[in-house]
Amino acid sequence: MNSMEGVVTIVQESRFQLTDDAGAGHLFVLAHRSLAEPDQLEALQRRQTRVRVDYTEPRNIIGLLAHAVDIAA
Amino acid sequence: MESRNLGPQEQAPVPASAAGGTQGARQEWRGPTYYGMPALKEAPFESWVVGGYIFLAGLAGAASILAAIADLARPRRAAGTVRRGRYWALAAPTLGAGLLVYDLHTPQRFYNMFRVAKGTSPMSIGTWLLTGFSVVSGLTAALQFAAERRPRWRWLRRAARAANVPAAVLGGGMSTYTAALLSATSTPLWAASPGGLAARFGSASMASGAAALSLAEPPGPTRSALDTVASVALAAELACDAWQAIDYRRKGVAGALESGWGMAEKLGATGLGAAVPLGLYGLALLGGNRGNLSRLASLAALGGSLLLRVSILEAGNVSARTPEISFRFAQPDNLGRPRRRRR
Amino acid sequence: MDVHPRALDYTESEFSGPIPNESELTAGVRIVPGRSYGFFTDTTVCIGCKACEVACKEWNNLPADNVGLTGQSYDNTGQLSANTWRHVAFIEKHSDGAGPGVRSTEKPPFQSGWLMMSDVCKHCHNAPCLEACPTGALFKTEFDTVVVQQDICNGCGYCVPACPFGVVDLSTLDGKAHKCTLCYDRLKGGLEPACAKACPTDSIQFGELDDLHLRARQRVQQLHAQGVETAYLYGVPGGPGATGDLGHLNAFFLLTDRPETYNLSEAPTRPANRVAASLLTGLAAVAGLALAAVAAFSRRA
Repeated sequence: MNSMEGVVTIVQESRFQLTDDAGAGHLFVLAHRSLAEPDQLEALQRRQTRVRVDYTEPRNIIGLLAHAVDIAA
Repeated sequence: MESRNLGPQEQAPVPASAAGGTQGARQEWRGPTYYGMPALKEAPFESWVVGGYIFLAGLAGAASILAAIADLARPRRAAGTVRRGRYWALAAPTLGAGLLVYDLHTPQRFYNMFRVAKGTSPMSIGTWLLTGFSVVSGLTAALQFAAERRPRWRWLRRAARAANVPAAVLGGGMSTYTAALLSATSTPLWAASPGGLAARFGSASMASGAAALSLAEPPGPTRSALDTVASVALAAELACDAWQAIDYRRKGVAGALESGWGMAEKLGATGLGAAVPLGLYGLALLGGNRGNLSRLASLAALGGSLLLRVSILEAGNVSARTPEISFRFAQPDNLGRPRRRRR
Repeated sequence: MDVHPRALDYTESEFSGPIPNESELTAGVRIVPGRSYGFFTDTTVCIGCKACEVACKEWNNLPADNVGLTGQSYDNTGQLSANTWRHVAFIEKHSDGAGPGVRSTEKPPFQSGWLMMSDVCKHCHNAPCLEACPTGALFKTEFDTVVVQQDICNGCGYCVPACPFGVVDLSTLDGKAHKCTLCYDRLKGGLEPACAKACPTDSIQFGELDDLHLRARQRVQQLHAQGVETAYLYGVPGGPGATGDLGHLNAFFLLTDRPETYNLSEAPTRPANRVAASLLTGLAAVAGLALAAVAAFSRRA
């Protein structure tokens, strides 16, 4: 499981874009077993909170699968 | 929000492509496909999980019906069957419901199934049917359990008999609504013969219920009665199979049963699962109740009932992903007579 | 060229926020809740640029799936799926009835050798997916479109086989069903859907359904007059695609070949009409067998 920190910039349903410190945007899909709910993502995007995402790389899409989203210190 | 109906003169008819559309006794699709890509999506159910649930639901519903009938007709001599039937009825609310929740792709939200009650969705109908059946058959089983612990309190036995009636009624729904679940989709094989599939599932459920109860029953008049019920149900199942075959050929989806799972359905479900046990039951009933034949027949009927559901699910998926079959099915000649539509 | 008078109010290159009622300027229609909206896709002016696919992916933040080349002309998305809500189909017609592999020596004035069509959720009037959904996640919005509520869907997947066009799909990654929302969030903000806005030839036209039907009829008449006899509408009331009690398709098409060429069924049906017949037949069968059981148990041994 890898980890990435950044700010949530786009949210659509259960997909979000995380912009990391280098300014690159990464597309994440919330895994169905993750504890985070799509409604919470919207709040994170509005407040531009810095978060840490634990993710894996699925084989069949160009994107990342987020398993956990935590607020980064 | 209704749109004005466009007149026929403003519509060009669908042009026949150079290769032509349906040909050959209304069976095969000779028209174009889009690179052989599927035009429909397969059901995402896991066949053994959902097939297993349908099998258990049918078994439990039929067990409840047979327990109620046995209790009303010959309560003392068939007490074993009555007892087992009422306990077997719990298979659906427990194991069956577990299988259903497992098959959801977001199982932690299973309770959302209770948000609505929709008459257009057999899955919604089934949710409430399963809930109602679970409650009533649970009550029946509890009363049965209590009646066995307190044999002097006769009212418990009468209460169990009374509770068994609504359980049996709902059990009737349980044994056949799953066919409506499959037919109310666009999957060609399932949609082609809604009546035939429903009657077949219902017959297979009754057969499996009778077979399960017969397996546990010692030789005697009760077991003969159960074997008779199973035989009639299996005969009905074979008749439905013929009914379905006619419908499938007429609507052009018979090709889905030429796959591997189609073979499983023909040999396993219809052959080993219906025709063979029917023969064995017949021999057992005529030949004076020889134990092994009846038990063999019951086992075959149970296996066939499960294999029937799984093979129909798999063959249905074949029909959905094969454009030749789905396009042939979705032709104007399969639309049927225009009836009074729902609102 | 017609320019909406309001367009002159917005002549700067950068905006600090969305233009109010932007759809008036871009699609010529004001989006009002309570009216029926949809797409008219005129495949005769589609150039296969796939701007609609890209705009849809960009706006809805959808990942690319079906990674790789399909070998199906320029179509590399293959089909609609949980992450592909606009799919452009390409069909190369090499022969004109002369047989496969034989090039035709005559072509009609209208270029018909290469068919391109942008496929999308049809937002059916009597949507089978909606009727099948047991949680009520699928609903009809105030714009007469069909949307999956992501916070309710529990991934049962029953909508997937119900759809007669193979549109809605279950995502194994996030465990829920997805399909085109007709940009519900954009409609609420007065913007037209992303694909319609991006389409450079106005092949995808967004508007009120009555108006779209009028435009479509006029276009078909125009094409017939120009010699394209095979042009017809798919998804209008009474036409192919809107058969079997589906009513009509809010997203309808102008096609020039058989529907199956574009991977569409000619006569889809409304699955909910099969429920009553199936239930009643099944119950009758079980009731009959129950009577047989009564007879079997009542017999004196």
